[in-house]
Amino acid sequence: MNPPELGVGIGWRPEIAGFVAALPGLRFTEVIAESVHPAHPAPALLELRGRGAAVVPHGVRLSLGGAEPVAAERVAHLAACAEALGAPLVSEHVAFVRAGGIEAGHLLPVPRTRAALDALTANIRRTQDGLPVPLAVEPIAALFDWPDAEYEEGDFLTELVERTGAFLLLDVANVYANARNRGADPAALLDRLPLDRVAYCHVAGGAEAGGRYHDTHTAPVPREVLELIGELCARHRPPGFLLERDGRYPPAAELTAELDAIAAAAGLAAVT
Amino acid sequence: MTAPPDPPDGPGPYDPGLAAAQEALVRAMTAGGPMPAGFDAAAVRAAAHGILLKRAGEVERAWPGLAASYGTGWRGAFSEWARERPTRGSFRDGWDFARAHRDGLAPAAARELALAEVRWSYDGTGAPRPRRAAVRRVPGGLAVQVLGRVREVATAGARRAMV
Repeated sequence: MNPPELGVGIGWRPEIAGFVAALPGLRFTEVIAESVHPAHPAPALLELRGRGAAVVPHGVRLSLGGAEPVAAERVAHLAACAEALGAPLVSEHVAFVRAGGIEAGHLLPVPRTRAALDALTANIRRTQDGLPVPLAVEPIAALFDWPDAEYEEGDFLTELVERTGAFLLLDVANVYANARNRGADPAALLDRLPLDRVAYCHVAGGAEAGGRYHDTHTAPVPREVLELIGELCARHRPPGFLLERDGRYPPAAELTAELDAIAAAAGLAAVT
Repeated sequence: MTAPPDPPDGPGPYDPGLAAAQEALVRAMTAGGPMPAGFDAAAVRAAAHGILLKRAGEVERAWPGLAASYGTGWRGAFSEWARERPTRGSFRDGWDFARAHRDGLAPAAARELALAEVRWSYDGTGAPRPRRAAVRRVPGGLAVQVLGRVREVATAGARRAMV
């Protein structure tokens, strides 16, 4: 099964709902699943859906990479979001967010080991069993790696996709951030991933602090990330690219320019 | 390729060693636990600090009056307080922070706390529950809540009338 064509989109956030609603060519947006009340989705999201835009619920609290079964009620919520928004797919992360009953407060990396691969596989399958639509999983940006890795990142993700049949949500900015912080070549990872399994991509900006690049989603998309979009599309163009902005919202003209730059880099139609 | 079948009595696909390692990492990053062996400690601490700043931003959205009363010092003040306190969600994090600093709150922050307390019952350990009715003192008056509707009343006798 092939993922649907999505084009260029932007993450829906209440602070920029007016800007998103006014984009004439928008056919694709994403909403944080934990912010959705499935019985009463935001009218602005339903309006976008009514215009024919795909609205993808994006979960951040499922903890697919945790060494415990995913919570049935969290899977049910994701499924209810997909139903309420008529979503073509949903997405989550290759990460864990809690352990031993303690919330980490953010997405944490899993070790690249057989044990972590088994836990992820089991949790992704449990989630897929409860969903009415396909699931895409997103490798995260992380400032550190676990010791004693048994897999290269590309091999780990490839085996995960082969085991589960899940799509990938490839965050180009995460690929850039991780490679920059590890002193590696971001394009090298692209050569190791099953790019035909990418359902869509995230694009975002970050900032350097303390000698490390932080994927903050509160800054403009760097030129290097736009160039990496080009590198990716030269290999295999994914069905969609979605701009994530999560704070310090700039004037509309700046968001418009960023969306246009992403469309140009990907060779997709502008939505502005 | 498929995962091995679950043993009948074992942990199945969930390795207890992985669970323990994940818990140790989360404790080190959020609760003052020791740094697990083998990690780049400076990088883990940088990630933990990034999470604190993100949490401060989330609390700022839930408690704008509280955060604004600290001005540019908000992120630093919240990060310092939260450094060994794992998140319980931004609403409760802000509430816990406000209560811990109750004696020094600026009027706008004190008002925000009073308006939360007039709507919700929160014992500091469980999830806040809506109150049916309550009265709280706010700077310069009273906040009265009945069945979810809140009215603020300016009164010189606020201190005497406080419930």
